Amino acid sequence: MEVSGPALTDEQLAARAAAGDQPAFEAIVLRYQARVYRLAWRLTGNEGDAADAVQETFLRVYRGMASFRAASRFSTWLFRVATNSALMQRRARARRRSDSLEQFLPCFDAEGRHTGTPEELQAAARVDERLDRRRLAEKALAAIGRLPRAYREAFVLRDLEEMTTAEVAEVLGLEPAAVRQRVHRARLMLRGFLGALAGVRP
Amino acid sequence: MSDVSCASGVALLMDYLEGVLPAETSAALEAHVAGCPRCTAFVASYRETPRILREATAADLPAGLQQSLLAFLRARRG
Repeated sequence: MEVSGPALTDEQLAARAAAGDQPAFEAIVLRYQARVYRLAWRLTGNEGDAADAVQETFLRVYRGMASFRAASRFSTWLFRVATNSALMQRRARARRRSDSLEQFLPCFDAEGRHTGTPEELQAAARVDERLDRRRLAEKALAAIGRLPRAYREAFVLRDLEEMTTAEVAEVLGLEPAAVRQRVHRARLMLRGFLGALAGVRP
Repeated sequence: MSDVSCASGVALLMDYLEGVLPAETSAALEAHVAGCPRCTAFVASYRETPRILREATAADLPAGLQQSLLAFLRARRG
């Protein structure tokens, strides 16, 4: 794989791969497989689905390589394919119970003041000190899976994969303001969910 | 936007943290939060939520998937 060392940019590798250079394509796979897996894991909440989504992603990238236009960044296109592949895996499975997380949205009184006490309102920030890691991971993935798809994909890319809002907007084909609105809504629900895990009533 | 309530402040939080609010609105929000223990607590937990979930859902590529992935892709390419 010496022809495709780390010095080459994604776009250079993609151009070589599109011209039939197999080591260049495999260098792309090696460069991104761990991130694509982690993204798929967070979107599907399931190891088997995540592994299938990784295969599907790189297969689609391979087949679509010739149609990739260098007008956008290669990684933007790759993560768009990965997000769609992961969400399709999820949809292909038996439909799970997905009751709303709206019960975890913050509550205000008639004057618009928080109804909780400061201690209750802050409880979510310390849930990771109260639950063991494995249990928290299970609960977290289940909660993320209960978000509406539009919120889930925006939240996972922005807050879990730590892309910028501008990058997420490009991957999802949205305006940045729409990304912020979706991520905000997801944060509010998940914050309330973590508070409930920490023992605060919604 | 000089009269911020907890509810209207919460609605602005993401835009505030991303730095896209007008300066005057940001200042009004900061003034409200500074004087409101409930909002101070809320903002702390709002800011921690992404980190907690990010750490809870971190995952490494499973051993074996890398090999099977390359084998899978090579077989599909013929």
